[in-house]
This record gives sequence, C-alpha cells and structure tokens, in this order.
Amino acid sequence: MSESKISKLHQGLVNKEFSCKELTEKYIAAIEKDNEALNAYVTVTKEAALETAEKVDKKISAGEEIGLLEGIPMTLKDNISTKDIRTTCCSKILEDYTPIYDATVWDSLKKQNAVLLGKTNMDEFAMGSSCENSYFGGAKNPHSLDHVAGGSSGGVASAVGGNIAVYGLGSDTGGSIRQPASFCGIVGMKPTYGAVSRFGLIAYASSLDQIGPITTTVEDNAIVFDAVSQYDKMDSTSQGRKGAPVCDSLKNDIKGMKIGIAKEYFDGVREDVRKSVEEAIEVYRTLGAEIVEFSLPSLKYALPVYYIIACAEASSNLGRYDGIRYGYKAENYRDVNDMIKKTRSTGFGEEVKRRILLGTYVLSSGYYDAYYKKAQNLRGKIVQDFKNVFEGCDVILAPTVPMTAFENGHAVSDPVETYQTDICTVPVNICGLPAVSVPCGIDSKGLPIGMQLIGNSFEEAKILNAAWQYEQAAGKFTPSGFGVVG
Amino acid sequence: MVTKEEIMKIAILSKLSVEDDEIDKLTEDMAEIISFADTINNAADVESDFDNINNLSNALREDETMPSLDRELILKNAKDSDDGCFMVKNIMK
Repeated sequence: MSESKISKLHQGLVNKEFSCKELTEKYIAAIEKDNEALNAYVTVTKEAALETAEKVDKKISAGEEIGLLEGIPMTLKDNISTKDIRTTCCSKILEDYTPIYDATVWDSLKKQNAVLLGKTNMDEFAMGSSCENSYFGGAKNPHSLDHVAGGSSGGVASAVGGNIAVYGLGSDTGGSIRQPASFCGIVGMKPTYGAVSRFGLIAYASSLDQIGPITTTVEDNAIVFDAVSQYDKMDSTSQGRKGAPVCDSLKNDIKGMKIGIAKEYFDGVREDVRKSVEEAIEVYRTLGAEIVEFSLPSLKYALPVYYIIACAEASSNLGRYDGIRYGYKAENYRDVNDMIKKTRSTGFGEEVKRRILLGTYVLSSGYYDAYYKKAQNLRGKIVQDFKNVFEGCDVILAPTVPMTAFENGHAVSDPVETYQTDICTVPVNICGLPAVSVPCGIDSKGLPIGMQLIGNSFEEAKILNAAWQYEQAAGKFTPSGFGVVG
Repeated sequence: MVTKEEIMKIAILSKLSVEDDEIDKLTEDMAEIISFADTINNAADVESDFDNINNLSNALREDETMPSLDRELILKNAKDSDDGCFMVKNIMK
C-alpha cells in the first residue's frame, strides 16, 4: 500500500460515500471481532467514539468543511493521558487511574474531532521490547499470532497493522515506536526530541521519551506528524516543528540526496534482514541517491549508555507511585513506609522493578562516577559523532531491528538478551534525532522486516521524503488479513 | 560482582521490598544486568560537555496566575481522603 489511507477515508466522508458513524461502527465491529486474538486494545471507548462520529456527520450534512483527520478512527498508547478515560500504562499500579486532564497531543486531536476508538496495550511503563511486560498480557502480531507485536507500543502497532485503527500515537524511548512498527509491517516515526509535546505523556525517561505517529503509509505518517507537532507552553522541552509542514516536501525528487551507511549498524544483523536492507540501498541508487559509507565506532557503547541513562531517569520518575495520591494501594501494612514499599513491590511488574533497581544502583554513592557520569560523557561523544556524520550525508539508512518478531514468550526469559535487540534503535534517542521505520521485506515465516531512515535534528521532512520515495518505488507493505478490509 | 547485601541496600533506597525467596534469582538477574552496564567501562575516558540534546534551553513561560485544578478532582484518584486531604496512617505516636 502506498496510497494514503487517511486521505482516502477523508474523501469518502466528504463525498458522502459513507457516514462517519458507519465508518466508526465498521472499526468497532472489527475490534469486537479481532481484539480477542490481537489483544491490542486494553480499553475500548465505543460510546465516545460514536458521539464524535455523530458530531462529524452533522458538520458534513450542514455542508461544513472538515479537516483531514476529522472523523478518522484512531488509537492512543495507554501512557498518553486522556481525561475521564482510564490510562493505565498497562501496570497494576495504575489499573484504575483516570486522568483529570488531557495530554496536549490528545487535546489537539480531540479538537480536530479525531475518533478515539480506545487505548492500546504496551509494556508496563513502556519498559520492554515485546509488549509481554504488560499487566494485561502482550499484544499479538497481526502477521502471526504466535509472534509478538513488539514493544513497547505493541498495542498501537498491532491495531494499525491489524486494521482495527487507521492510525495511532505511540511513544519511543529506545525504539518503542519503530521496533513494533517494523515487526508489524507498518510505518512508525520517532520525531526529534522536542518536536511533539509530551505534556500528559506518563514519563519513563524524560531525556529520551518522544511521542510519534504509527500508520500504514508514509504519507499518513506525515499527515499525523504535521497535526501534532506544535510548540506547547506546557512542556518545557517543547520546540514544535521547524519549517513548513512535512507533507509539502514528501514528494520531492531525491536525486543527489546523500544516504549514509554505517557498517556498525549491520553487526550481528540476521542475514535475511541485512539482505532486505541492502536491496533497499539498491533501490535508492536507482532513484539517483548517492550512497556514502562511514564508520561510527562509538555506536557499540550506545546500548549500555542507553540502559544506564534510561533506568536512572526511570528510578526517579517512578518515585511518584506511592499509593497515596493515585493508583493501587496495598492493604495490611504497619506504617506509611511499609505501605509505600508494599504498594510498589506488589504494584510494579518484574521488569519495572529491575529497571528501578538498576537506576538506583547507577545513581548511588560510590557507583555514580563509574556508571551514570561515564554514560553521560559517552552520550556526549555519540552525539558529536552523529553530528560529524551529518556533515557528509543527508540521512542514514540502517536496519530497524536485527531480526523479525520474536516468538511469544521468548523475550521474557532473558532480560539482557532482549536488551541487545534494541541495538539499532537506541542511538537516535540518545542523540534526540528523528527516525522513521518503513517495511522493506518479509522473512521466510511471512514476518515483516523493517529499515529506518535517520535524520539530523528537526529534519523529519527529509527522512519522510526519502521514505515516501522508497515506498512508491518498492514499498513492501503486506496486508495482515485482520480487521477492516478494503 | 554484586552481592545480596548490595541488592538489599538498593531495594531499601528504591522503596521496594524483596522477599527471602526472591533474593537469589534477583541477585543473579541484577548481576547479569550490571555486568552488561559495566561494558561502558571498556571505553576510553572521554570528557564531553554534554548538557542536553539539541542545545535545548528551557522554554519558560510568563509566571501568570491561572485557575488551579479543583481539589475534589485531584482527590478523585486517591484511595483514601478526608476533609480535602490525602489520608495516610499516622506518622507520629
């Protein structure tokens, strides 16, 4: 598929081929049919979705103009705050938490009459690569139910890949948008740090977290990014989109564009994945792009640097869950201290507790210099190395994940082995750069393979332009057979 | 090599309790994770003036008076509240 799904549905609404209510009902029926198998949604907001749909239908009947995202059924990862709709982070500790305010991204989409179908599954507090750390059980891959959807935004990817949402917003701290998008054969972008407001995104690691779109096509990704990338005074790291809407430059010619290839990104990558990415490189050559090879030696430290920094920040951010102001509260305790300890110990899952412990360890007296300070220094080195690379190329092309989707249960058995699979995705979070994953092949089991295009800060337009050109020339989108067909 | 005692100390700092039957497995897992984190110490020492990414400077807004959230709304998600306050067990005898 290379045609914009959002534009097509928008035209259908405007031309009155179907009503927004009919469209929404079709998606709700598909959720009722397929969500049991996919486990993509943890909360379905049927009534609110139909109410919005009726509002949009009234506008259309009255001859009013509607926006591109108006009336389009979509979903949000369950760590994006939605007023009066429970937001759980897929943790027992927030199982019955209902936010009293909206995240800025949802506030702005709500004002555009986006039809929210529900909230989607994720690894608890976005910590994981398989979605299996979810308190509600993992989301499944729409291309094979024996395989995971990926993580942490597994629910959004499963819903979009499984056609039970047109698009969704996820969050990416170390690959949590791009990796599940790659596993589910769709398009996922982690924008530049600061390009999309994070106000109302429940924090995991504040110097790395970023909200971004998950869609079936590159054009849809650009449409959603343009709609949510604005400066927000409520987020002190917000800068908004720099320059014109990215949709304007999507179809530009890429003749002469310099595409960088770093050999370190291919270390340990499975043969079929490497082959698919190399085929994509050839497609770019035929499109007239210039391929530039370079080396990024500091890349080998990106993974431990990422885990040290992310866990350090998480140990601080998750200090707020004490059972007093919101969320789960343990019973049968001696005193306040005992209550907080029991609440946290029984409210958090195993992976979250491991990361809090690692974060506390690397920040504790005696270990701070050897771990946290050293990791921050190396972070500076990696940032500088990427800066140097972008002096010689426009975008970097790399595999998104070294393999395809894991079998169910595989990722939970060995934490460190699972961390290693994030090797290709974490560097851009460390550097705050934008990157988009697009499908570029299918393995022998029929599971999608993805590649990512990485850009310099605030150059989303460039990476989406390169991604769109590839999609048109050799797009590898494969329908999953679930959800709304046609 | 990380010890059980170190893990217990870190657990106290993290306000997490570790049961007797969990400590061996947890120490084993944490030893593996910490030795993975330790691989950064193979890198040569680098001095970088890393402060934040993309040269961000704080996006500060004017200090304006705005209506605050409603007290009842804030207390809505608390398991125990009384008289407009969050309730906890008494902390003084």
